[in-house]
Amino acid sequence: MEEYTNQVQIGEKLLEIKDLSIVYKTDLETVRAVNGISFSLREGETLGLVGETGAGKTTTALGIMKLLPERTARITSGQILFEDRDICGLDNHEMQQIRGQKISMIFQDPMTALNPVLTVGEQIGEALYLHHQKELSPKEIEQKVEETLELVGIPKERKNEYPYQFSGGMRQRVVIAIALVCNPRLLIADEPTTALDVTIQAQILSMICDLQRKYGTSVIMITHDLGVVAETCDQVAIMYAGEIVEYGTLADIFTGEEHHPYTTGLFGSIPSLTENSARLHPIEGLMPDPTDLPKGCSFSPRCGKCMEICRQQKPDVYEKEGHQIRCHLFGEGKVKE
Amino acid sequence: MSKSRKHAQLAEFWRRFRKNKTAVLGLVILIIILSMALFADLIVPYSKCIDQVGADRLQGSSMAHFFGTDELGRDLFARVVHGSRYSLLIGLATSLMALVIGAVLGASAGYFGGWVDNVISRIVDVFMCVPPILLSLAVVAALGTNLRNLIIAITVSCVPGNVRLIRSVVLTAAEQDYVEAAKSYGASNARIIFRYVLPNAMGPIIVNTTMSISDMMLSAAGLSFIGMGIQPPSPEWGALLSNAQIYLFSAPHMLLFPGLCILFSSLAFNLVGDGLTDALDPKLKD
Repeated sequence: MEEYTNQVQIGEKLLEIKDLSIVYKTDLETVRAVNGISFSLREGETLGLVGETGAGKTTTALGIMKLLPERTARITSGQILFEDRDICGLDNHEMQQIRGQKISMIFQDPMTALNPVLTVGEQIGEALYLHHQKELSPKEIEQKVEETLELVGIPKERKNEYPYQFSGGMRQRVVIAIALVCNPRLLIADEPTTALDVTIQAQILSMICDLQRKYGTSVIMITHDLGVVAETCDQVAIMYAGEIVEYGTLADIFTGEEHHPYTTGLFGSIPSLTENSARLHPIEGLMPDPTDLPKGCSFSPRCGKCMEICRQQKPDVYEKEGHQIRCHLFGEGKVKE
Repeated sequence: MSKSRKHAQLAEFWRRFRKNKTAVLGLVILIIILSMALFADLIVPYSKCIDQVGADRLQGSSMAHFFGTDELGRDLFARVVHGSRYSLLIGLATSLMALVIGAVLGASAGYFGGWVDNVISRIVDVFMCVPPILLSLAVVAALGTNLRNLIIAITVSCVPGNVRLIRSVVLTAAEQDYVEAAKSYGASNARIIFRYVLPNAMGPIIVNTTMSISDMMLSAAGLSFIGMGIQPPSPEWGALLSNAQIYLFSAPHMLLFPGLCILFSSLAFNLVGDGLTDALDPKLKD
């Protein structure tokens, strides 16, 4: 176990996603959920995946876990390199070794993510049992379960209780305990606080951050809440219609000068305490139909700065000191206004 | 899991089961009937079942014959007591076998879906087309008549319905978030089915199984009636019943006692089944 340090140690590259595309194919239609996204994550780093509902955030996460619905989902291109191994090529058995032990996931809704007929202790012990039954005796597993419960702030005496005896916030702690019990290298938190109320949200988030510092875990934080991103993330990727439209450090996104119009729109949609405006500024319109994406830039139908070229041609990535923006307003395609 | 904890869980389960008065009543009846089957030889010797006393034909209840006698002058009390062995064995064995086979096939079909589901469901459809009694008849006719074949035959006729029921409850249970969560811990399919899916689908399955015990006893009775089941002179409740209907008006006691036995044992199984469902469901815990 790593020594406790206050500073997050950013280490080597842990996860790299290259040009990943995922479609859901049924007899009736083809949903293009993720379209050529690339990002990488180093040890101890937190990446925020931000976007509206349907932007492909959860699909990306399930792709990394290899838990996409088998019958419909296809990875059409790209690679997911975890510890320099391509996950896409692993068979189910090899993947079971990784899931729960090296990569684990916190689910969105704690009310449904726990098995109602097993005690919380049994459920936390599940991953330990599955991955360490040879090294650990049942007693050691029990002990580790108790430690983990205390770690997430639940008295160890409650391990024999069933999920229905816990409140939503407490259940989310149990879900987090399950995800952390094997000390995974990568933690995927899929909107971990969406189903909770605000006071509990803050507690859960700071707990995730503390635990991350303690164990040097890398985190992918999936959220649509920019406040959560500002609190927790080092890197931010803004997703729109299955593409990463802007990618950079926390500072690039929050205080940088140049932004994708969608990011600007996202910030404009947040109610402000200091400015006294009568109305919010939502982004007009809806996300494009993922079965029928626009020919040019996916955001063009809703973009206030839309130009002729945006409707015709996909924008390339414009990069400045690691800050990437996928928009015609910047870079070579830049059109003089 | 430590021994003491298993013990504590059992105690907790018993405490909750005890609170349900009707279930306890069912359990008491069940224990009486089961001990009747276990200690049949001590209660009344088997020879009394087959001794035919011509003078005592079709008599009503008396101190000499508690339940009266049948058309051949055999003691009905002895036949009912010894008949419980056959009836309970057939009811329990067929229901349990049908449950196990149904659980394996139904859970595979519901959980894996795709071609597995297609193959299993289509075969089940074919079996569903044949009336159950005809299916049992065909099996008995093919294998020959004895107790083992009778159990096989009745199980075969019961499996398709079980597969369908279990497939449908598994279908909904497998879509829950905690099943996906279990996959994310790295659990294998078999572990997910037996630890996550089936326990959560248990309620309807238990009720169906306990209900089916009495149905199975009646199927056995039907087969015995047409001479394909338990062979005379062996006593079996269903056989006693079908034997009695010729004398329905002249000697109604012949129908009454075996009928009451079937009624009370199926009632007992159902009550206990309901009690089990409630006591095993952690969501209903006080």
